[in-house]
Amino acid sequence: MSAATDDIAETRGAASETVKANAEGAAVKRTLGIGFWIALIWLGIVFFAAAFAPWLPFKDPDANYIQRGERPPYPPSMAHPFGTDQDARDILARTAFGGRVSLTVGLVAIAMGMFFGGLMGILAGYFRGWWDRIFSFIFIILLSFPSLVLAILITSLLERSLRTISLTLGILTIAPVGRVARATTISFTEREFVLAARTLGAKNGRIIIRELLPNVVIPMSALALLGMGVAVVAEAGLAFLGLSVEKGPTWGKVILTGAGSRDLQKYPWIAIIPIVVLFFTVLALNFAGDRIRSYFDAKETAL
Amino acid sequence: MSKTAETPLLELDDLKTHFRTERGLVRAVDGVTLSLKRGESLGVVGESGSGKTVLSRSIMGLLPSSTVNHGSVKFAGREILGLSAKQMRHLWGAEMSMVFQNPLNSLNPLMKIGKQITEPLRLHLNMDKATATATAVQLLRDVRIPEPERRLSQYPHELSGGMRQRVMISIALACGPTLLFADEPTTALDVTVQAQILDLIGEQRRDRNMSVILVTHDLGVVAGHTDQIAVMYGGKLVEYAPTKTLFADMKMPYTKSLMRSIPKLVDPSHSRLATIPGRPPDLVNPPPGCNFAPRCLYAQPKCHVEEPPLVQANDPSHKYACWYPVGTPEFEKRDAELQATGYRADDVMAVS
Amino acid sequence: MKQYWLQRLGAAIGLLLAVSALTFGAMNLLGDPLFNILGPTAASTTPEDLEIIAAAEAEYNLDDPLPVRYVKWASAFVTGDFGVQFSSDGQPPVSDLIKERLPRTLMLLIMAQTMAIMVAVPWALLAASKADKAVDKISTITAFLFIAVPNVGLAVILKYLFALKFSIFPLIYNASDPFWSRVWQMMLPAISLALPAAAIYQRLLRTDLITTLQEDYILTARSKGVSKRNVLFKHALRPSLFSFITIVGITTGALLGGSLIVEQVFIIPGLGSAIVEAILREDFPVVLAIVMIVTAAFVMINIIVDLIYSLIDPRVRTE
Repeated sequence: MSAATDDIAETRGAASETVKANAEGAAVKRTLGIGFWIALIWLGIVFFAAAFAPWLPFKDPDANYIQRGERPPYPPSMAHPFGTDQDARDILARTAFGGRVSLTVGLVAIAMGMFFGGLMGILAGYFRGWWDRIFSFIFIILLSFPSLVLAILITSLLERSLRTISLTLGILTIAPVGRVARATTISFTEREFVLAARTLGAKNGRIIIRELLPNVVIPMSALALLGMGVAVVAEAGLAFLGLSVEKGPTWGKVILTGAGSRDLQKYPWIAIIPIVVLFFTVLALNFAGDRIRSYFDAKETAL
Repeated sequence: MSKTAETPLLELDDLKTHFRTERGLVRAVDGVTLSLKRGESLGVVGESGSGKTVLSRSIMGLLPSSTVNHGSVKFAGREILGLSAKQMRHLWGAEMSMVFQNPLNSLNPLMKIGKQITEPLRLHLNMDKATATATAVQLLRDVRIPEPERRLSQYPHELSGGMRQRVMISIALACGPTLLFADEPTTALDVTVQAQILDLIGEQRRDRNMSVILVTHDLGVVAGHTDQIAVMYGGKLVEYAPTKTLFADMKMPYTKSLMRSIPKLVDPSHSRLATIPGRPPDLVNPPPGCNFAPRCLYAQPKCHVEEPPLVQANDPSHKYACWYPVGTPEFEKRDAELQATGYRADDVMAVS
Repeated sequence: MKQYWLQRLGAAIGLLLAVSALTFGAMNLLGDPLFNILGPTAASTTPEDLEIIAAAEAEYNLDDPLPVRYVKWASAFVTGDFGVQFSSDGQPPVSDLIKERLPRTLMLLIMAQTMAIMVAVPWALLAASKADKAVDKISTITAFLFIAVPNVGLAVILKYLFALKFSIFPLIYNASDPFWSRVWQMMLPAISLALPAAAIYQRLLRTDLITTLQEDYILTARSKGVSKRNVLFKHALRPSLFSFITIVGITTGALLGGSLIVEQVFIIPGLGSAIVEAILREDFPVVLAIVMIVTAAFVMINIIVDLIYSLIDPRVRTE
């Protein structure tokens, strides 16, 4: 901020901790907001449906529910709330069970990214020197590939199981998370409280765990939600290209089933319903991550 | 001279500028009345948070539209408080302009100097490119910048701090305004350059018969370069007098302590710097009574309860707001007490 | 200055070498080149087949250790010899495939980026000038929606709405049509790539514009009587473009990935569909070549972004 507006800001005296500035510099209250909770509710529903799918009253996702007298696919009805695809498989069931794959992939990917990326980033940012050179180099290499290209490269070489897809997307998440972890660590290391801890004789490990970690974890958590959205979308993309897990439905696969021109025109629900589910899920993840980030940001930039 | 020469160029009548914030209404400027004739210069002095910067911006009308204004601001007899930005734009740069504090931040870093100067010329005076460029060169010469032609195609970061401030001044003077605001024009500069800049402003004022409002926290700056001085504290005008009168006969203890806090060359080395203890008042919930009372070493019980009005001194052009100004028995008695406890007269305002 | 650029170039070349080595190594260690070349014959043990295997090994230098093969491959690669397509009849050179497919993907990407920038800049200016008012709030929500929507979803929905339900755009891309017809056929695919990118650009530019608008020199400009619109365009825009340019460069990579999907949805025979087909057919010279080209392009773009930076900011130039 400029010196002149600092002066005006002083006369405004808006020094409350919960106050954030909007574009004009006027004060705005910081809160998570109702949207955040709506997003959380949606995510809760989706996760619940996916996690407990085998025990919930869904139809069998792979079975063919052919009705006499009419050829599939069947539009949404009481029996099939989301309709069926061309092989008369129930789309609601396929979406629910597909969520198991898509969300698992997302969770594992982000967990890997946070763990490895976070570890590498913190070490690089705290110790600098060779740690930094090696890890930053790895980050740069990973980031040199457009992400989907890297994903399909790796999946093309390995067998297509849930494990390898998750692994692939996990590798993809390492570099972005690592870079943020590194940058955050560097900015915190240069602050006084780390210097203070050091002069008090605290060992490095202690500093990292007690001082740095809590502070670095916050921006990374916001990133985690956003990253999960990215991973889920990436899996859908891979599945659409025919490169995701071989067994079982995933959201991308269901979309693929309905995306052909003729199918899309006559039976739009096959593709569009899973698209809507995917969209709302990613939207919810993005929104929640964004709200968390701005909630914690406000404290940092208090006038 | 004609009648218009007698009408003040600028008249403020109980000007109040408030900001709406989360914590409440911030009374940044809370009732300022003063007037300025054409060609005169006024110094507005105060600490950070006294409202002096807000005052200058408020008069010009540069504050965001969420600001609440009361009172009246008349420029050349015309009421300008409450005019929209669209209407004010015709005055900005043409009739009134401002020189800002930090020239490095106040000049567009990605725009050539020449363009920044010719912009108002072409905008307000409808000059074509060639005339504007020639005028810009002359303006740079007026502000004593060497090699003016060369400067036109340079960028702000290529010039020294003093030169940048001169460029800012030339931009402000470009269209020949009748009123120039200078907001802490020398704070960001070296001491040696400060005097040059102030002299330059003074010289331009005389040459152009232009009014100048000099906003600063430094009494020393206004001492030699102003006709009148207005001292502000906590958004209020606490003392207002012609410069000579003020320095000869300070009434308000706050003004006196501002005076004392200026380090003087004649002081013995390692003299303790006199400062004013405490912090500026909360502008949302100001203390009852005089704003300065909590920090005033001469405060009497009445000061904490009733707010002193602005009254006239012997000289009718000298106004101040204090119940027990310098010269009153209460003041002198307290002064004697403070001296008796061992403080030297000169550092009576030092932090205890 | 010169030293800086030489360093940059050196770093870029080093990066490309590392990336290519990694990719080549991964493909050869994790995949089975023999299988790619010969198919099921590779596993057979009949004497005739063994001869064929030996011949293939000799021709493709499969006896040599990995680093040697890498160097041979790399030196061939930089001269434009990308090997042959193992899985196609007659095994035509990979470069033929690239020459055929690349222009279409390029057209798609250029159209998408151009549209994204053309939409994002005015959008950001509007949002910044009316910051926090209704217009801005709506625009923020819209941008958010477009960022969240997955490429696959947007492409399919756009296809459904504007090519099928309301037949505004054609459904098929026909490579043999005249230029402008092809551009029109490419519109919908380009739009589905451009919209999320535009939203990202807009958000960033808007934020930077708002930050810039709080700078002192903006107040100076206003105090000179410059109109609000000119303050935005002439004073605030240029200093706000730095992050914008960076993100445009970076997003090109994401657009490349997105183009894979869009090409599938709209059935465009470009580079993206080439690599997907090659993977399904396990034709790894093709995969390798395309990955390398795409990555090299990505690295080059980042260098160009740096170059543009120095053109915009005179402060960098004179250092």
